[in-house]
Amino acid sequence: MKSIRIENAAKSYAGEAIIHNLNLTVPVGSFFALLGPSGSGKTTLLRLIAGFEQLDQGAIFLGDDEITTVPAHKRKINTVFQQYALFPHMNVFDNVAYGLRIKGISENILEEKVNYILSVVHLEKYRYKSIAQLSGGQQQRIALARAIVNEPEVLLLDEPLAALDLKLRERMLLELIELQDTLKMTFIYVTHDQLEALTVADYMAIMDHDGTIQQVGIPKLIYENPKNSFIASFVGTTNLFHGNLLSNKSGHFEFFIPQLGMFELASTGEYPWVRDGATAVMSLRPEKIEISKTPLFNFSNMVEGFVKSIVYHGRSTQYNVQLINELVVSVFEQNEDHFPQEVIDYDDHVYLYWQKENVVILES
Amino acid sequence: MIERLKSCFLKEMPFFLAAPAVLWAIILFLFPLLCLIFTSFIDQDTGLFSWYNYHHIANITIAIIIIRSLFYALLTTFFTLIIGYPIAYYVAFYARAKEYMLFFLTLPFWTNLIVLVYAWFFLLEREGLINFLLTKLGLITEPLQLAYTTGSVILVMTYCYIPFMIMPLYSVLNKFNMRLLEASCDLGATYFQTLRHVIIPVSLPGIRTGIILVFVPSFGEFIVPALMGGAKQLTVGSLISYYFVVSKNYAIGSAFTILSGLILLLTAILIYFLITLIKK
Repeated sequence: MKSIRIENAAKSYAGEAIIHNLNLTVPVGSFFALLGPSGSGKTTLLRLIAGFEQLDQGAIFLGDDEITTVPAHKRKINTVFQQYALFPHMNVFDNVAYGLRIKGISENILEEKVNYILSVVHLEKYRYKSIAQLSGGQQQRIALARAIVNEPEVLLLDEPLAALDLKLRERMLLELIELQDTLKMTFIYVTHDQLEALTVADYMAIMDHDGTIQQVGIPKLIYENPKNSFIASFVGTTNLFHGNLLSNKSGHFEFFIPQLGMFELASTGEYPWVRDGATAVMSLRPEKIEISKTPLFNFSNMVEGFVKSIVYHGRSTQYNVQLINELVVSVFEQNEDHFPQEVIDYDDHVYLYWQKENVVILES
Repeated sequence: MIERLKSCFLKEMPFFLAAPAVLWAIILFLFPLLCLIFTSFIDQDTGLFSWYNYHHIANITIAIIIIRSLFYALLTTFFTLIIGYPIAYYVAFYARAKEYMLFFLTLPFWTNLIVLVYAWFFLLEREGLINFLLTKLGLITEPLQLAYTTGSVILVMTYCYIPFMIMPLYSVLNKFNMRLLEASCDLGATYFQTLRHVIIPVSLPGIRTGIILVFVPSFGEFIVPALMGGAKQLTVGSLISYYFVVSKNYAIGSAFTILSGLILLLTAILIYFLITLIKK
């Protein structure tokens, strides 16, 4: 179990920079999610760590050892590939045993290890099945077993669940967390799915379209305190309001949204750009808004609007509400009651309430 | 009534579609083969059933001819494989204009065999291009005996049959999942370990098809050995053509054809299973 440290990394293809000046530390033993939209260079970063690509500039460290120029087959790092890349001419056992056989481990020790790992991924019964006979989920587990049986210092997972259906994906996520806990390995998990990243990760890094890491931290912190509007809208969903910070009589900042009015703020954080009159963005998560047809009390902020569309998700309902300044705000409401007391319908006039502590002010 | 016929026709569609091909195979393959087997057991003088034809060909001269053909076929197969595999590998994995490369590689296949062989004569003869150049360069004083040798037969046969090896190899390697190379490398394998344990085993179906496609027809090849090997190089193909075309001894010709066909079949099956052994 070792950490990964990347220093001043740069990589370009055909003159086009994929990543540049990238610094990242993956703590030892962590379940680290690398989250980013398609084309953000997250897979490239993973391939650089695995050794399938070479850096143009910078250095990669595995623990304290620099591995920048070490070829892939000599790195104590294993990968679970997106499309599994299982060897089609071998059965389950031989696939999992491949890495150990290459290392020249004796057959009886190898058999013991492979059988143990197959039991860890619940596939001991399928030992002698051919790969083509397995379902997607089972192939996924074999790919996982084939990598972890080598006891790598770091395990790389490249969108490993992308090809699975939702139910299976949810189950595999929990199993991955459990597995990482048992094996005590450093996991680096690449995904474009923010829900997956939030579920599995101890730490996560978010990359933007330019291959820049925008924020690193624990998932809860990133979700609740996004650093900028890209993070706020990429991790989870949010409503972004553009406006200005204005200082009130008591020296606190309030947020002014044109054509909508003034809104109370709890705090703005100590940033150099925070000053009276500065333009800023207010991020308000849909689940932090209360929706009602009748006026409510004890909320610090309120806007009014008309329901434009309703999306029923089962456990929650999403209302898209058009405000007087034409802006559309999303609201999530838990469907707590079988027979809700108040039924909100299309074109209903509604009040939206939120507490001042539940918004985040971002640099515009 | 028409409805019933229609539904019957639709239900039996596969049969109707396959029927012409089956008919073709029966008329032009199975029937002649049965005729051949029948003829091989008929004494040409008496017209009665007899083992005579087989006794007649059970001798050392015939054995040598069959062994020579096997030897040519095996060497041709071997050389087409070891030359064809890297070529197919290169075209499938690295080449840019794959279609053009394949077109040029399969060019021998498009050209008349006689023309091909004579083109080689132009190069290999005593007064041919190679001897001419070597003499001019002062590397040799006497022209080398290049044509009419076993080597020249194998060379030209390899040249003629290599498209049959490259095509199936290419079609398998072209579909090869490149991620497997990375997976193997990721699991600690060097390039040669990956070649041995992943690339070759995965391309095994192509290797097998290529070997059968080259081995079977090259066993029966008679134009190249006849022209390139000189008159003394009798092979199975040339002997069959001698029996049927020159001496008109159909009975013995049939017996010989059946015998060499069986030997070919057995050898091909043997090779097929030997290849399977390299799987892991």
